[in-house]
Amino acid sequence: MPDVEMKAADKAKGDKKDEKKDEKKKEEEEKVVVKPPPTPAAEIKSNVALIERGVATMEPRFTHRVLRTLTALRKRADDKVLRDVIEELYPKAGPVKDSLLSWLPPAGPADHSMDVDPAPTPTKTATPEPVPEGEIYLRLQMIHNMHKSPETYKKSIELSHETVDKMQALNRRSMDPIAAKLWYALERSYELGGQLADARPRFLAAQRTASLRHDDETQASLINRLLRSYVSYSMYDQADKLVSKTTFPTSAGNPQFARYHYYLGRIKAVQLNYSEAHTNLQQAIRRAPPAKTAPGFYQAVHKFFVVVELLMGEIPDRGIFRHPVLEKALNAYFEIVKAVRTGSLSQFQTTLSKHAAQFEADKTYTLIVRLRQNVIKTGIRRLSLAYSRIALRDICVKLHLDSEEDAEYIVGKAIRDGVIEGRIVHESGWMECGAQKGGYGPEVGDVFSRRIGYCLELHNESVKAMRYPLNAHRKELAAAEGARERERELAKEIEEGDLDDDEGLGGDF
Amino acid sequence: MAPHKLAALYSDLQKAFDAHPCDIKRCGSLLGQLKIGLIQAGLLLPSGEHKLEDLVVARDILEIGAFWSIRAKDVPSFDRYFSQLQTFYTDYSSVLPPSKREFPIRGLNLIRLLTQNRIADFHTTLESLPLPADEINENPYLRHPVNLERWLMEGSYSKVWNARAEAPAEEYKFFVDSLMGTIRNEIASCEETAYESLPLKDAATLLFFTSKSDLLRFAEKRGWEVNLTAATITFARKSEENMEIPKQKLIAANLAYARELEQIV
Repeated sequence: MPDVEMKAADKAKGDKKDEKKDEKKKEEEEKVVVKPPPTPAAEIKSNVALIERGVATMEPRFTHRVLRTLTALRKRADDKVLRDVIEELYPKAGPVKDSLLSWLPPAGPADHSMDVDPAPTPTKTATPEPVPEGEIYLRLQMIHNMHKSPETYKKSIELSHETVDKMQALNRRSMDPIAAKLWYALERSYELGGQLADARPRFLAAQRTASLRHDDETQASLINRLLRSYVSYSMYDQADKLVSKTTFPTSAGNPQFARYHYYLGRIKAVQLNYSEAHTNLQQAIRRAPPAKTAPGFYQAVHKFFVVVELLMGEIPDRGIFRHPVLEKALNAYFEIVKAVRTGSLSQFQTTLSKHAAQFEADKTYTLIVRLRQNVIKTGIRRLSLAYSRIALRDICVKLHLDSEEDAEYIVGKAIRDGVIEGRIVHESGWMECGAQKGGYGPEVGDVFSRRIGYCLELHNESVKAMRYPLNAHRKELAAAEGARERERELAKEIEEGDLDDDEGLGGDF
Repeated sequence: MAPHKLAALYSDLQKAFDAHPCDIKRCGSLLGQLKIGLIQAGLLLPSGEHKLEDLVVARDILEIGAFWSIRAKDVPSFDRYFSQLQTFYTDYSSVLPPSKREFPIRGLNLIRLLTQNRIADFHTTLESLPLPADEINENPYLRHPVNLERWLMEGSYSKVWNARAEAPAEEYKFFVDSLMGTIRNEIASCEETAYESLPLKDAATLLFFTSKSDLLRFAEKRGWEVNLTAATITFARKSEENMEIPKQKLIAANLAYARELEQIV
């Protein structure tokens, strides 16, 4: 699934870097003239053909296959490639070709000389123009191409607007998978142009239409677009309302689900609903593509995941911080985890102020500030495990609290919240720690039954998800029919040949 | 309503609001008339193009309204004024000159959420403030509620108690009393689980009561056992929750597994 290019802040930077690198690479490639198996132009062409096949056979699978290669391909496509493809796919001048070409910068003279040579060849076959889906696909490639340089951001907004209008006017169901991608491109255009908020009404209107048409693909994509727009402007209230008013289509693809869970996790984390945020972020991680293909998303989710886990009073797995993709990105978070784990307020504060800028950029700062109480709670829990009785004054000193009075209130609250088992003896000014709860009880059964439920559901889902090619059973039926026919013939032959065979056989014996 | 009449009412309102002591009744009636005027001018919930001065006046009126509702101890009305002001603060923030009352009102709203124990809303609102995190700590109006929340969550109740006097604006004091009620209940519920018994005197200091009769009334409300001769409070221990096996649930779960397994095999 290479089509999840996530768009968290740092990823955007990463994207640009990648693109730059790619451009450089491309230049090098052109110099050295390496021959990558299929050229991008050929690949785009074959993709358009695949789309046509998908439309003709009413099988969206082909279109999906094309869209899966979108990310990989768009890095290799450039103006020239697109121009060549358009020239070849639309041999005759027509309104479609003109409008497509008008978005590309005029070709240089060098290009023309190259075009002249192959020009006479395609005339021999008057191929019909590709289906509209193919055209939209080409436009999609062009928009992504425009995202590569800041000068064309404005143009990409215009193009994506025109394309969306066109797509809505065509109103073809076979367009849906491409439409979902197109909305993403539109959002990206707006975001790069720095006016993401302006696109919101458009998304909302389109979302309504999509849900009325049961266009799951587009709906999923649009819900994510809206959530992203709300979350990036810190409008968690609106985002939460959107989530509660819409149902995310269950048939949506994994990448969309991963994004959805990520945004949901962020919203829930802000609302202090940590356990739900935890499940959502976990889902996002599980559904996300492998770390190497979409490192940005992987890092962004893990940042929130670590913080939420800390807020729940758990210490994240150390293995996370050694993951090659995450190690560098999560360095600051690792230090926070260390501070929380030791329950040292002073260490926590210094780490917080040291990495404040990064947390601010990751939008996790406010969440991390909330960790302060967890640091104290962890500290108290450690003390309660180590001592059976400890004076409040010592707690105060060990946890760097301001006064003994505070310590008493804080310990009292920890006892009430169930962080520790114990009680305070006020007269002598100490805390007595009780025994830990046993690990057996109804809650164990609950966890167990939850897991069983999950496994059963997984089984049922995978049974449901099995795919059978259309009409394939006919072939099988025919094959079975043939087999039966052959069997009958065989039986007849045996019957007929029985007599003479018998003799032969008998002779043998 | 004619515009000049609206202007006259507006200046009346300003005078009545700035007067010491503030004329609450008069402000209320003026606000009612002004709001009708704003609706007629289409400025209460502005949409589209309006003159800049009109918008500023409308915002001023609503801001005064918000402060007035606090002075009149009318929290629902404050809520309404605040949501009407949201339009001005968020949608028109790029056009309008910043208002010096904006942050006090936002801070008041935060405290209101805190006193109503709507912590999730508190954080959502905090998150959507148009300021970076370090500026929130600089802003006296916002720092106050943010610190209060942190102390409440930590359990540093004495700090909350001491912060009463540090309210950055007059109106903040209105919420202090209800906040004290909230933390007293918090402390009481902590004490119930954390202590077996407490001397009356210490209970009074922990709960910030100055007089014994207040404490006794409070203890009675929470159903604590007060031993006057020994001068102690004993908290009724909640009996260890008896561990009962949830039979119904187990049976239902097992039947469900059996059904699922049958489908698989």
